[in-house]
Amino acid sequence: MSRPAEAGLVNWVTIVWDDPVNLMSYVAHVFVTYFGYAEEKASELMLQVHNQGKAVVSAGTREQMEIDVDAMHSYGLWATMEAG
Amino acid sequence: MRDFKRVGSMIRMKLTDYETALLESLVDQFLGLLEADGALSTSSDPFDRWQAEMESDEPLDRSDPVITRLFPDAYPDDPVASVEFRRLTQAKQLGDRQRQAEAVLSALADSEAGKHPVQVRLIDLDDWLKTLTAVRLSLAVRLGIQTADDTEELENLPEDDPRAYIYRVYEWIAYVTENLVSLN
Repeated sequence: MSRPAEAGLVNWVTIVWDDPVNLMSYVAHVFVTYFGYAEEKASELMLQVHNQGKAVVSAGTREQMEIDVDAMHSYGLWATMEAG
Repeated sequence: MRDFKRVGSMIRMKLTDYETALLESLVDQFLGLLEADGALSTSSDPFDRWQAEMESDEPLDRSDPVITRLFPDAYPDDPVASVEFRRLTQAKQLGDRQRQAEAVLSALADSEAGKHPVQVRLIDLDDWLKTLTAVRLSLAVRLGIQTADDTEELENLPEDDPRAYIYRVYEWIAYVTENLVSLN
């Protein structure tokens, strides 16, 4: 249960951007490993990054998104965050 | 003969002595890049780390495009928030990257220059993938790869172009990464 004050803060997203270096299989692996997404969802997000240039991969509080962006950077993915 | 084989909780990877030395050298160079600027801030003493963080907003040389690719701005439209983000995350990120690279070097050393297969424990797989990816990103920056078209151009370089060799190394690391991902 989130308190109303917290609920109001849950409006940030993590975006992963396409780059010509990272392998498609690796990007999907990161989404499965870090976010715990099912293979199908991970592949879908990976293809969205590849075909549309970017994808929102997670949403939450600003603090949560900073953790996710930091994790994406640790995998060498190009990630940013913004208020959703 | 297969060069990559999953055996229980391990991937066995056959590398030649040349490939082993090449990978060692690339990972070493990557460690050097991190240590060149970040030595202070990755001290194991939390107080030293804190002090280093306080003294410098940007401990790494952000005029180096490899550094900006490995540590991109978290807030593309907010430079102040991006600096603050790095101040909070970079010391740990650097320490983790060094530990991961050292795990790779140690497994390579255990193979005794290609005498035995390199043993990649599955629990260390992400250390390998992160390190190989960082090395590839560094090479990509040096090769000037910014779009898929750049890659196409590099594929068709004449053999005597110095970039042709670097590009082959870059592609070989992709091949190793692909195999490791597929066996996990």
